[in-house]
Order: sequence, then C-alpha cells, then structure tokens
Amino acid sequence: MSKLSDLIKKYKTGECELISILEEVIRSEGYISFERLSQVSAELEIPLAKLYGVATFYSFLPTAKCGKYIIRICASPTCHLKGSKDLLDFLKTELKIGLGGTTSDGRFTLEKTSCLGQCDKSPAIMINDNVYTNLTKERLREILGKLK
Amino acid sequence: MEMQILRETNWKGFEKAIIIGSVEVIKLVKDSGLKGRSGSGYPTGLKWEAVAGQKGKKYLVCNADEGEPGTFKDRFIIENNPRALIEGMAIAAYAMEVHEAFIYLRGEYAYLKSGLEKELKKSKKYLDKIDLKIRIVLGAGAYICGEESAILESMEGNRPIVRKKPPYPAQAGLYGKPTCINNVETLANIPLILTGNWDKDLALFSISGDVKNPGVYELKLGTPLEKIISISKPSPTPKAIYFGASGGCLPYKQFKDLSVDDKSFSENGVMLGSRTLIIVGEGRSISEIARVFAEFFVHESCGYCTPCREGAFRILEILKRMRDGEAHKEDYILLSKLAPHIKDTSYCALGKTSTMHLIGAMKYFEDDFMKLCK
Repeated sequence: MSKLSDLIKKYKTGECELISILEEVIRSEGYISFERLSQVSAELEIPLAKLYGVATFYSFLPTAKCGKYIIRICASPTCHLKGSKDLLDFLKTELKIGLGGTTSDGRFTLEKTSCLGQCDKSPAIMINDNVYTNLTKERLREILGKLK
Repeated sequence: MEMQILRETNWKGFEKAIIIGSVEVIKLVKDSGLKGRSGSGYPTGLKWEAVAGQKGKKYLVCNADEGEPGTFKDRFIIENNPRALIEGMAIAAYAMEVHEAFIYLRGEYAYLKSGLEKELKKSKKYLDKIDLKIRIVLGAGAYICGEESAILESMEGNRPIVRKKPPYPAQAGLYGKPTCINNVETLANIPLILTGNWDKDLALFSISGDVKNPGVYELKLGTPLEKIISISKPSPTPKAIYFGASGGCLPYKQFKDLSVDDKSFSENGVMLGSRTLIIVGEGRSISEIARVFAEFFVHESCGYCTPCREGAFRILEILKRMRDGEAHKEDYILLSKLAPHIKDTSYCALGKTSTMHLIGAMKYFEDDFMKLCK
C-alpha cells in the first residue's frame, strides 16, 4: 500500500490530519496536481473547492508544477540585514530564473519565504525539507553543485 | 552560565505530579506565576484550570508554530532540550485529564520532526502510564497558524482563519472539544516548576540583526534594554530595535534605559511579545526595513478582512514608491493615516499588529521617510 493511501485510511479513523495528506503528495510528487487533488477529494469525500482552498492557503503546498528542488530564500528582516538580497541576486544569475521561476531542466524553483527561524545563523535558505544557514555565495554554489 | 531552560529533570517533575495529584499540580502552576511565553502572557494555571473543569474528551496542543520574524527560541528548546517539552506536555495532560495531545510544528522546522519523534519514543513508558498519545502535526508555511484558533482550524482541515472568541478553546477548541493550547517555552518550564528552584523572571530572548553574537539568551525580565543588547555585541551602534514584526519598534538611544518587561513596553506603545529583538544599526534606512516588514504582511495576510488584505498591499505600494523615488509628501500622509486605521479595524491580531512597526518607525524616524518624498 502506498504511503498516501495509508494516510487516507488513517484520516478516516481520525489518526491523520488533512494537511499531512497534502504534504505527502508534495513529498512524493513535488506538487499537488489537479488530478491528484480530485482523487483525494473523492476518497475523503471533501468538496474539491474546499480542498483547493486549503491547499492554496499554505506556502509549502504548491498546486502548479515546480522544480525537483524548491529553493526558498528567507525574506526576514534579519536575513535582509545579513545580505539575503545578494544571495537572491546570485541565485537568479546562477540559475537564470526570476523569483517564482523554474529552471528549464526542471531541477530548481526559486522562491522567497517568511522567516525560517534561523536568525542566529543568517542568511538562511530552505531546500525542500532541509535548512541551510550561515550562507555565502561560495557555500551556495557548493550546495547547488551537490543537488545537480 | 547554565540556562534554567536546559536543566535536565529526567521525568522527576512528572513523577512528582503523579504523587501530588492533578488538583495540586494546577495549584502549583497557578501559584508559580507562569504566564504564556508565546507573547500572549495569559496565566498558564488559569488556562489549565478552565480545561480541567470540563468533562468528556479534551485535547492539548503544543504550539510549535514559531513564526514571528526574528524569533527562534522555541527552535532552540526543541533542538537542545526536547525532553523538557515532552515532560511538560505529560504533566499538563495529566493535570487536565487529557489523553490525546499534539505538537503543531511549523513546516520550516520539518527537519526537527525526526528528533522529536525519537524523543517521543524514548518517553513512551511515561506517556503510557497516563494513557497519553502525542502526535506531531507538521504545518506548511503560514504565519497565521501561530494564532491558537488558526492552529485548530488547520488541524481540522480548514483554511486557518482565526475564530471569533468567545467561545475560547478551553470551552470549544479542537473539533469543538475543550482544548488547551500552550507554547513550547511555556510547556518546557513546567517540569522545573514541579521539581522546584524555578525562577519565574527568567525568560528566553531571541536577539539578531546587526550584532556580532546573535542567539538565544536567558535573561531576567526587567533588565534594562542596553544591558540586554550589549550581550549580543551590537555593531555598529544600534539605531532602532524591532520587537519582531508585530511588536513595534523603538529608537535605541532614547530608550536605552527602558526596563524590558511587558508593563513598561506597553506604556511606551510597543509589545514585548515573544521577546524578540531585531537590532538595526546606525546607517540603515528605516523605510527600507519597513518595506521588508510590509512584504511579510502582504504575504501572510489571510485575506479574510479588507483592512489587513488591502491595507497591507497599499502600504507596500507606497513604500516601494519611496524606494523608487516616485513618492510625494501626500504618500507619507496617506501612510500615516492607513497604519493606525489598519490597526484599529482589522479582524484579528495579525492585522491589528501588522502596522505596529510602521507606526513606531514614522513616530521616531520620520526623516527616513520624508527625505524620499518629493
């Protein structure tokens, strides 16, 4: 049984929340497609419009196709003071995309995100579920290299 | 210096709780003077008492959705003393006769989930003793979920729109059942209250910005601002101190000697909240900092009420015009009308506090805005 159908089963017995189901879709498929949302809607007997409303509320539940790695750069005032804009400009040039864009090879999507709570180690970014801190351009280049 | 919050109690607080019984535990927490450490400052013992007095199924939710910009003290606890948090939850659950509890962990802290799960496994024999199940629910990036009723909506599978109160969660919370919602730092202090030697005036501060030593510091409430800030070695000299995104700001020079506590803060029009200090050094443009905060609120406004949704958008528009050299004096006047209007008319605390930073910035650093206006 797939992890998703397992969670759907658990949802029905009150052992799992809707948000965790949507997060599992992201983990396995990268985004929540219309087809997947329709399927979850039918299985959970929740109106599609309501599900769509929930999914689109959250920053980490994209409903449009995006890169394998979503790079989220912290837009907090602290990271701003510590030069996050330079990192953002560097990433834009390096990946040849703008904010919200995805590289043509489908690997990276670039986004801004609210405070990551790493202000003692700023500037910080998040790539999928992982957080990277105390960043410099050199370190970013290294990290990107490993993900290619 | 040893931090109180990192002290190991090794389930001794929990064991004592079981010996003295739930009524005594609640009395102890009430008498301790512990107040919610999320920023609300509501007496924890009273909250527990309200939930304990209800019959039937009830829930405990640990609010680990630490989203206030510049705040990372709950992360510090989860990383360095998760056992204190879980023991605190167990004591709370025992006192209120709760058998189902949750940790709502913000999506940004997804990487901490496995460590917490490991600690939960290690705690099994204690949790089993009081038939308590604790589950971690991972958030997915929404600042509003730090508000207690928005968490409940999120857990119930709805859009996390803040509920109208009353009824308060203690009466009708998760799935309509009585629910106690406590912050990570609040719960992590509980075991120490049971074992004794707990100092109620010590609290965690998140200090960051233009400083050499950013970090989490445990300090006495009532310490002068200058003393607290000097610990983090500011460089250059601080110009303004922001208390997160929602607590407002003060100019450093004028308020150096201010006692850092809830009362003296509110007397000066700011909120200490979750004790977040973002230090902005001399030479920085306050209008630029305002723009960074404004972008945050445009992103995080849930869209439910007009003043917050549209107001945040308009404020950002004006601040961008200032950056681009296209603003006029009328823009500044509009800004100074919009900010208090949004504060007064928004539906929930997010909107009501969304312009605190700007109101303070315009009051103390008018020049930083005016010089950008034609």
